[in-house]
Amino acid sequence: MSAAENAEPLNLDWLDRQGEWGSDANPGKQGLTLDDIQIGTYGEVPDESDNMTGRPRGAMARAEAYRIGGYSVRSKQEIWLDNASFLYEEALQRQWSSATDVPWDSIEPLPDDIEQAECELATFLTEVEFVAGDVPSRWVAQMTPDYFEPRNVLLAQVMDEARHMDVFRKRALANGGGLMSATGGTAGVVGSIDLSRDFTEMSSRLHISGEGAVLTIFRMGELMAYNEAEKAMYRLCAQDEARHVAFGVMHMRYMAETAPERREEIECYLDEAERQILAGSQNPAGAQTESSQSLAILLGGGIDQYDEGIRKLMAIRRRQLTEYQKRVRSSGFGERFDNGRSPIHEMIAANAA
Amino acid sequence: MARKSKKQAEPANAQPIPKPNFGWMGRSNQWGTRVKPGKHGLRLGDLNVGIYGEIPEQWQDQTRNPRGAIPRKGVPPVGYPVRDKADLWADSAADLYEEAIQRRWAPATDIPWKSIKPLNEVSERAVCQVMTELSQYANCDIETISNWQHQMAYGYHEVKQYLATASFDSARMYEAFRKRALCNGGGLGLEAPGYVNRMILESRGGWSEAVTYLLLMRGTFMQTMLRYLEKYAHNEAERAIYGFALEAKARQMSYGLEHLQYSLAHDEERRSVMETLLFIGDRVWARELKDHVLREALAIVFAGGLDKAASEGMQIHKAMMTDCMQSYVDTCAWLGLPRNLEMMPPRITQYLVAARG
Repeated sequence: MSAAENAEPLNLDWLDRQGEWGSDANPGKQGLTLDDIQIGTYGEVPDESDNMTGRPRGAMARAEAYRIGGYSVRSKQEIWLDNASFLYEEALQRQWSSATDVPWDSIEPLPDDIEQAECELATFLTEVEFVAGDVPSRWVAQMTPDYFEPRNVLLAQVMDEARHMDVFRKRALANGGGLMSATGGTAGVVGSIDLSRDFTEMSSRLHISGEGAVLTIFRMGELMAYNEAEKAMYRLCAQDEARHVAFGVMHMRYMAETAPERREEIECYLDEAERQILAGSQNPAGAQTESSQSLAILLGGGIDQYDEGIRKLMAIRRRQLTEYQKRVRSSGFGERFDNGRSPIHEMIAANAA
Repeated sequence: MARKSKKQAEPANAQPIPKPNFGWMGRSNQWGTRVKPGKHGLRLGDLNVGIYGEIPEQWQDQTRNPRGAIPRKGVPPVGYPVRDKADLWADSAADLYEEAIQRRWAPATDIPWKSIKPLNEVSERAVCQVMTELSQYANCDIETISNWQHQMAYGYHEVKQYLATASFDSARMYEAFRKRALCNGGGLGLEAPGYVNRMILESRGGWSEAVTYLLLMRGTFMQTMLRYLEKYAHNEAERAIYGFALEAKARQMSYGLEHLQYSLAHDEERRSVMETLLFIGDRVWARELKDHVLREALAIVFAGGLDKAASEGMQIHKAMMTDCMQSYVDTCAWLGLPRNLEMMPPRITQYLVAARG
């Protein structure tokens, strides 16, 4: 820029082309949270977003700006949940490090059958965490920033899943074992999480049924952990997973309240999830899979106590199904358990000891 | 390793338990791995021992088979288009991933928001305008990284994992910039022109092309701008925001530049493609630089108000642009892509010529 250009007076026309003025958000006892900045027009979330330029919600639009946002998610009901800001702030506060927050030194050599079971389960869980990171990432890229609150929760989830994948790989390689057989249970199944063409469809499979089932396993971590490192690993993963499941429940509840015309469609997603994800090879506690056999060995205390382990695993399956039921009821779709549509009661009975 | 179960005893009062085959037992590509934590704990990079550290030039497996695990035959491919090491790799990815986790921050609680005091209206409007444009830069980071991350094969999980931290860092930036705009009696400003954003988002030639525009070009600009903003911050809160953003941006730049260096060294075609990309990108960037809005807002911030913005503020802006463009051409030269200033738009080279003159 030349000196002459420098000497030119400023244009300053932009001073009169700004968003709503006078926003004075104040930090509370939890700091300055996303909820604190939902003030005036900045807190008004449009039912339909016409923002195709990627501008922050509430900023003044430029008439000449290019339409660069190829956003497929532009409707609030497709993505919204009422507590996204809370879940995001909690995710930020509860970040942890698999390198330093897991007491790896507490791991001692284990009997070979136990170590193998641990490594097979870790291999499977690594695969599962791949799905749970990839799929939200794909959807994040398709969302208008007008709904940045849920988008930020999903970005936190992508981060969480990267850490989960990393912690299970670390466990597999930390105690004289190694990775074992991949199950392939997370790919290519009709109705799988990957194939969802709609965000709510994806969320119902990923958050409600898939991660819900894994959450129950993580919460049972005390029963299958052999040292403090494994206990910490499952406990920390469970706290993250609970947020992801809460996202799904709250989004589905919002959907139930605001889009009754989509109710039957969502019931169909749940039909499919109950048949496949909860019952099949994507569930670590599903019937007769590598991961369920591993779990039974870990729960029983060795391959010689496999039957005892299976009985404990059946109790976990019942708990998975019961917790799933509670989540679906909480999200506003509980009628399916009372009108005979859902096979969950039969599944619970089949897992009775 | 044990291979098969002993026959299971069946308690009399229980349902029969299906007989397991335990076919998975005894099957591992490499058993006996015992990675120990070091003084920084057990890091992702520490795991790269034996076959688990063998990172192939191409990863043909399109399933979610973890690197080093035994793949299952017959699994339908999920579809990962980015599966050449030259298209995404950087040796530092695992370390950057762990660093990002150790240096995590929360805008709600790690920024001393109460240190912000009312500014005169023009200064506040200038800060808010800068925050608006920075938010859009962070938004572009998020959309671009997320769009590519899920397309990358799991043979290179270190990169995918680092990128998970990178998009999360940009989410924090987006949040922190927005919070600053809305916490001191102001509001958001006018949206950015978006020419460079479009160019970045439309990088159809692959992740390396996106990295060229997002990190080499925009990244250099944003990093320089954050450095100057940190220097001329009005309060501790702004200084903290820019400081955290700079740390995250520095990691993104480290990954990006190392990736481009790796890519250029391992793909013979890439050099000429990148030269063309830079030729095109320079012109789009120059077009965006014509916009006076960000320039004026920065000048007001740097001058501490409107009075000296046209003189002192613009001089500081010019110094910032000189630093930025010098860094840009130096980095290009370091990558082995020396720029011919005569072929670059005057709106970019003017800063370099002025500095040399």
